[in-house]
Parts: sequence; C-alpha cells; structure tokens
Amino acid sequence: MRNGITTLIAALCCTLMLATGCAKKELVKAETPPPEVVVVSPPPAPAPVIPEQVKENPVVKDAVVGTEEIAALSEDATASKLFQTIYFDFDAFTLSEAARDSLAKNAVALKKSKGLKVQIQGNCDERGSDAYNLALGEKRAKAAYDYLITLGAPSNQLHVISYGKERPVDPGHDEAAWAKNRRDDFVVLK
Amino acid sequence: MVVALLVSMAATVPAQENYLEVTASGSGQLSLSVATPQRLEGKDNPEVAQEIADVLAFDMTLSGLFQVAAKDLERGGIRPGEFSYAPWKSGGTKLVVKSGYSITGGDRLTLDLRLYDVLQEKVLTANRFSGSSRDVRRMAHAFADEILRAMTGQAGPFTGKIAFVSKRTGNKEIYLMDYDGRSVQQLTKNKSINLNPDFFPNGREIIYTTYKNRNPDLYRRELYTGAEAKVSTQRGLNVTAAVAPAGDRIALAMSKEGHSQIYVITPQGKQLTRLTNSSALEVSPAWSPDGKQLAFVSDRLGKPQIFVATDDGSTVRRLTTSGSYNVEPRWSPKGNLIAYCRQMGGGFQIFLVNRDGSGNTQITSEGSNEHPRWSPDGRFITFSSKRGGKESIYVMRADGTGQTKVSRNSGSDTHPVWSPR
Repeated sequence: MRNGITTLIAALCCTLMLATGCAKKELVKAETPPPEVVVVSPPPAPAPVIPEQVKENPVVKDAVVGTEEIAALSEDATASKLFQTIYFDFDAFTLSEAARDSLAKNAVALKKSKGLKVQIQGNCDERGSDAYNLALGEKRAKAAYDYLITLGAPSNQLHVISYGKERPVDPGHDEAAWAKNRRDDFVVLK
Repeated sequence: MVVALLVSMAATVPAQENYLEVTASGSGQLSLSVATPQRLEGKDNPEVAQEIADVLAFDMTLSGLFQVAAKDLERGGIRPGEFSYAPWKSGGTKLVVKSGYSITGGDRLTLDLRLYDVLQEKVLTANRFSGSSRDVRRMAHAFADEILRAMTGQAGPFTGKIAFVSKRTGNKEIYLMDYDGRSVQQLTKNKSINLNPDFFPNGREIIYTTYKNRNPDLYRRELYTGAEAKVSTQRGLNVTAAVAPAGDRIALAMSKEGHSQIYVITPQGKQLTRLTNSSALEVSPAWSPDGKQLAFVSDRLGKPQIFVATDDGSTVRRLTTSGSYNVEPRWSPKGNLIAYCRQMGGGFQIFLVNRDGSGNTQITSEGSNEHPRWSPDGRFITFSSKRGGKESIYVMRADGTGQTKVSRNSGSDTHPVWSPR
C-alpha cells in the first residue's frame, strides 16, 4: 500500500509538472479557459492480498467429514454406482416413498463399505434463481443426510454439498429434463 | 493493463449544476455532434481516431441525454478561434465534441478533447490525457465521464469495469471487461464452478464463491496480481456474498448451522452478526448505501420474497408484496430504489420498487432477465439476459430504456457487477 501511495505521489508530481508545462503552452496560444489536464499514468503497484492477514475460522469438528479433508479428493464414478440417486418434486425437499427406499439401500451400502467417503450432492432444475437454488439444493442433500443417519449410516463417512442448478444431468428445458435434475447424487470421493 | 486516471489540480472548469435542464428545451434530448478526431502531431492513425469517436458516441448515446451524431460541418481546428460555430448553429447542433490526438515516440498518445456549447460559443469542459496508445478507449471513456459531470454535476461511470461469470471455456469462471464489453480478461482458471463476484469499494479486489475445494467457499482476489485469500470456508454454503459500501463488512448466506441463513462477517472471515434466525431458506443479501440495512431473499412465507432487515438483525420487514417469486434484490446507490427479479412466464423480469415497498415498476420484458446491478452513479443497470441464444451481459438506463448487449461471445455470461468509481 505504501508503495502504491509513493507511486501515486510521484505520479501526481509528474501531473503537476506536465500541467504547468501545458499551461504555459496554452498561454502562448491565448486559449481561454485553460484546459483541465488529466494524465493517464502507469498503474501504481497494486497492493497484494496478503495471505497472512486471513485468519481461518476454526471448522467445527463434529462427526461430518471436514472441508479440508475432501478438498484433495476426486470423484470415483465406478464406486459411486453402489449408490442410488434420489429425486424430488418441484421446489420441494421432502423425501418421497421412492426416495426413502433408495436411501435405505444406500444406508446398507454405506455400512458395508466402512471408510468410504460419500458426498451427498443436492441439485435443482433450471427454474428458479440460481442463488435460491443453492439453498434449496443444500436442503435436499441435508434431507438425505438426516434420513441416512436415522437409518444408522455412519455420519463420519458423509459430506453434504449443494450444486444448486449448476450441474444438471439433462440439459433439456422440459418437465422430463427438470425431473431428472431435481436430485441428490451420492458420489464416492477418494 | 490498468490505467490510473489522475485528475490534476490544474484549472478545473467548475461543475455546472443542472446545466442540462437549463439548456434543454422541453423534454427533448440535446443534439450533440462528435466531430472526427484530428491528428495534431506525429503519425496519422485513422484507427485511433475511429476508436475515440466510437467510444464517445456509444457512451453519450447510452446516457440518453443526447441525440448523438458523428459528423463534421467545418474543417477548423479543435481550439477556440480555430473553427467557426456558424455551421454547427445552422446545422442544429447544440453541443460539439472536438478532439485531437498526437502519437509521438512510437507509442505515446496524447488526447485533447473539448466539449463546446455552440449557442454560447464557449468551452464547457476540456481534458488532456497522456499515456500509451493502447489506453485510447479508456481516455475517451474518461472524457465521456467528464461530459456528464459538466452537463449534470455528476460524472459518468464509463471508465468502470464489469466483473461477470462466463461459461465460455465450459466451466463457470470469473471475467473482467470494460463496461462496454471490450478488453475481456479471464480472472479465475480453476476449472471448477465460480459464482457471484462482487467488488470491494477500491475497485481492485473482488470476492467470489468457488467450488475449487469441493465446497462453495468465499475467496477474495486481487484483480491485477491474481493473489487470493480465503474469506469464508465454513462447511456448506458460503454464497451470494456482498461487500458493504464501506468495505468493512461482508454479508453472505451460510448453511453452517443447518440451512441457508444470512450472516455478516469481516473481510477476514470473522463472524460479526447472524442477521436472520428462521427455519426458512435465506440468500442474496444486498446492502443499503449507508450500510445500515440489508435487503435479502427469504421463503419464510412459502415462496421466495424480498425482506429488509437492519444491519443488526433487530427488525425485519417484508419489501415485496406482489408477485409470487421475487429474488436478487440490489439497492440503488442513491438508496431510494431496489432493483430485483420476479419470476414470470417461465423466466425472470427486472423490477424496481421504492425502499418502502411502494411503486413497483417492471423495466424489462424481452426474454428472461436476471442479476440486476447498478452502475456506481445509479444512472444505469447491468444485467444478464437470455434472448433466444445464450445469456449475455446487457446494460440499460435505470428506467429500462436503452437496453444494449455488451458481452460478445457464444458462451453463457451472467452475474455482472459494475466496479465502483
């Protein structure tokens, strides 16, 4: 920042010098009123964002997989086939009968594969605002998470994320496509 | 790269308050002619001359204050006494912009621009800019800002940048461009999903949400060095963040306590206030210009609607009472209006509402229009619009007139935000 200010002062001095020079020049030509002078100068060195100034909030350590832990993982499409996708009604996050059946199977699969990290990814159809859909997708993922826990699934294997309407599986713009996109995916991370 | 415009202490033509209203006859626009920029010294460069004329005509037309024409009615110089006012007068022109350029030493460009009042036969304002020839558009935009200052007492926003989200690479990344869609720069390149940029008041840093670490986290980024720092990486959502007008706080939606609620944090990520405490879903906080109130979206009554809270969360009132799905509030810089989006007929339209909830006005109707954000002077709104093809960035006057597409590409461009002054 100090660097930036120094540059700024230097630039201002230049400006004033130029201005004086120009004023003289204009005087010879007897122009009135004298023009305002603006000098476009090279940018002052921008202040860097200093990483040290940022204090991380402590992540609340409960049973759920922490965000740092999963940052380095990637999606395992093959292992994810162990789990069933569940679907939702429009603008809703309640679990249907079919969704509960699928979750019961997913709970069994989770209990069988100890140590497997599974991300529950909540998704929405393209209608609605993208911001609101981020919140709605989170509720959908959380609904599945809560139900899995009541079925005895180990919470330390689960992580919840919302993709809102950012990751549709069907790019269509009709009810058939929307129905496929209102879903929770269960994705194995490793 | 960036250019810092330093307004000097040299003789300044005083701002002429309400000059425009005094001069304009009836409700008509003033006729303003942009004379062909002239070579003053050095090499001839028709491209530079064209750029100057194009920028001035584009900015002045968008302002809505002028009937703009690029024309020459005499062959005189650009200084007083070097040309005759008579042809302009008889041609019906009220204002003329005369300009000249000098390209010396290969790359050094000096631009001289003057705004003349033809009837009073005087200079209303004059600027000289010096710099590299690649800054020609920025210099012309700066004079367009100055023309509005001279005519209305308040400078234009045309030197501003627009940060936005584009999917042109296949992934949603953050970009930066001039407000008119030129000089596009890709900022993030993490191949993840990046959302909702917002500027700090210094115009040199943004915040944005990124999925690059498998969680929607809030990051802060210095625009011109690319240096980044984490701001909020709470488990779950850290989304729809908005920097307070003074830059001292950030409001955002987080779901760390179970579901999406509005919080206020420091720019370093320390929590100051939990603004909402409901069982509903709440997103998209927007600061009032004095930083004392926040508009936000909540579905506490069923469907998403816009509410307004004091910045300590102590009082909350409902803002929008018509329409079943209202989202994306954004407070005008003057504080009197809030722009927002209403779901209508399978898409969205942009509305304005007074801060007390009265006077709803629909200002877009073609295609689907979202993400309204004000220019820093409150004259314009930038937004994303889907009209047939992919979404693009548009600008318009705050009354909905003059809608102009500014982003030029075939990928989807959304979430524009106009940089502060």
